[in-house]
Amino acid sequence: MSRMVTVHLKPLGSAVELPAGAPLADALVVFGVEFPCGGRGRCRGCRVRVIEGSLAPTDADRARLSAAELAEGWRLVCQARPETDLVLELRQWSGLVLADETAFPFDPVEGLGVAVDIGTTTVVAQLLDLTNGRILGTEATINPQARFGADVMSRISMGTTPGGRARLTSVIREAVTGMIGRLVHGAPAGEPVRRAAIVGNTAMHHLFLGFDVAPLASYPFRTPKLGTERFRGAEVGWKGAAAEASACFLPNLGGFVGSDILGVILATRIHESPSFVGSADLGTNGEIVFGGAAGIVVASTAAGPAFEGARISQGMRAAPGAIDRVTCEDGRLSAHVIGGAEPQGLCGSGLVDAVACGLSMGAIAPSGRMAAGDMAVAGPVSLRQSDVRELQLAKGAIAAGIQILMKQSGKGAGDVGTFFLAGAFGNSLDVANARRIGLLPFPMETVKPVGNAALLGAKLGLFAPEGGGPLFDSVVSKVRHVSLEQDPEFQDLFAELMAF
Amino acid sequence: MVFLRGQNDVSRENAEVEEDMADLKLLHDAVLNGKRKDAEALTQKALDEGAEAIAILEKALIPAMNTVGERFKAGEYFVPEMLVAAKAMKTCMEMLRSRLKAKDYKPLGRVVIGTVRGDLHDIGKNLVKMMLEGAGFEVVDLGVDVSPEKFVEAARQNQAQVVAMSALLTTTMLAMPDTVKALESAGMRKDVKVIVGGAAATDAFAKEIKADGYGADAYSAVELAKSLIGKK
Repeated sequence: MSRMVTVHLKPLGSAVELPAGAPLADALVVFGVEFPCGGRGRCRGCRVRVIEGSLAPTDADRARLSAAELAEGWRLVCQARPETDLVLELRQWSGLVLADETAFPFDPVEGLGVAVDIGTTTVVAQLLDLTNGRILGTEATINPQARFGADVMSRISMGTTPGGRARLTSVIREAVTGMIGRLVHGAPAGEPVRRAAIVGNTAMHHLFLGFDVAPLASYPFRTPKLGTERFRGAEVGWKGAAAEASACFLPNLGGFVGSDILGVILATRIHESPSFVGSADLGTNGEIVFGGAAGIVVASTAAGPAFEGARISQGMRAAPGAIDRVTCEDGRLSAHVIGGAEPQGLCGSGLVDAVACGLSMGAIAPSGRMAAGDMAVAGPVSLRQSDVRELQLAKGAIAAGIQILMKQSGKGAGDVGTFFLAGAFGNSLDVANARRIGLLPFPMETVKPVGNAALLGAKLGLFAPEGGGPLFDSVVSKVRHVSLEQDPEFQDLFAELMAF
Repeated sequence: MVFLRGQNDVSRENAEVEEDMADLKLLHDAVLNGKRKDAEALTQKALDEGAEAIAILEKALIPAMNTVGERFKAGEYFVPEMLVAAKAMKTCMEMLRSRLKAKDYKPLGRVVIGTVRGDLHDIGKNLVKMMLEGAGFEVVDLGVDVSPEKFVEAARQNQAQVVAMSALLTTTMLAMPDTVKALESAGMRKDVKVIVGGAAATDAFAKEIKADGYGADAYSAVELAKSLIGKK
């Protein structure tokens, strides 16, 4: 029996036990520690402070943390293998995950239903009473695959290694099984879960279902597994009241654009729209949709990581300590911090605001150049030249994707009746600032945040007649997936739209 | 026979030389600032007035692209600025190409470049190509989705000194060691320098796959290529 060490977490008040010398990362992912680079020691996202006990600094610690930080006890969790008991400073990740409470028309059915949105970063599940549409419970958690990489490609890379795919599949299934178990625990006793509807992008879909991800690893990124998948809950590990549920993973739309975007389309009713409308889900994968009842085009830009802080020097997800709003008045910046705590970093909406302020204050030139160096935002948080460049790359890609999809539909920005912003980032994004930095070319009144439209779409799928088949097929048949990098105009547009 | 030149002739010559140099400075600035049409017109003017293609290349174009690289390194220039400057330079190079060939102009070195098998990202690769050309290299661009065999064949056919590979995805960079092995199998590994780049690659990765170097960006790639073939 190997010697165990105990790691206490304060002010959380929890403790974890693990064998001495074992990786600490595995034990801490559930507490919300972020691993933007997938635990490779290439970023600073997983840093925590040791307040009691000692943890020898590794080469990666020395490369990523300053001497002052090391002296204060900061270490990278991804490199940590404690040999002795420790006390770490760790605040609880609070569920700033977007659920959905939108009312929608439906035909009542017997029993309970579960809707799940498996996002690349966060997973949300809701339990519904199918007789009256009431939400009986909501569960949210960080996608445990994040431990292996913030972005889809790093997980696909792992998924092509022996054992890698199995590990990725088992951690996400465990998480979903756990969420459903907790939801059912709080529901009327004895009521079975009759149905489940799941949405997620193509990579999340493949990893949950245990499909080969090699087709998604390289050009032409075409997988044979696009269709609706139906299975019993027990087949993916669900127990008790959910074991016999008729579960359905909605169909994917093409490339990396998956059933979550089908969910967005269903929720926003783009497929029924008589006028030309669009949407963007600016999460990890940046999916864009344009069209209406006559036809729909979709594409993904994979520009998300910049907005979620992975390559921003002090970037972080929207969690306590993240600056999510920045305003400027008379040349002075004011920042709002989630949870009211000390500012630790910038999340997506805070980054967009900070850059918009920098532009109006002249600290950032239209080319993106910061002639006067770093721009202080609040406390220890500053905006650096490299941060602005990362944002330029991300917004250039999204802006170019928007232009190309509109062009392929024979339309321009003025033709778009409504532009829906889906996802948590879309919800917190300041639209005026998004326009200011050139991310969105639409007038303010056109842009509508729609929250977790993917989850709402899953719920609509839950109630759809005949298991949803006819509805899903009718939408999928209208959708054309576009590969942006194959458009000859993409490169020039991308470069041109990087400027502010 | 001896022709005596009068004062007027000499001062006219000096004035012409100054004017030529002023024109080359204007061309240099046009390229640096990405003014493609101005650069095109100034190149034509210089050629019409008898300037040597080699002089235009070495006194205006290459120094301009060198400054572009320095400004990029300093954070002043970013992708858009580099691209427009590179486009201006490319236009001028096209105009000089046949004359350079006629004079048997020898490039700094020959590079074969491409984005690896399974990967389509090429903006970075195109920037590296433009910067290499701007530094005086001759570059054979194999495009995207390039198999190891294609890299080897192109390196052989063009007698390239450098094979440059780009990959953006963690999944596709695995084609890079395959190319190194293919060069070894073809008995060519000793004759070429292999450099890698792209967001997925790192210095450690380059060492691991026994490449000769890693370039973090277009400017570093040029410096790397130059040092590997022994030029400053």
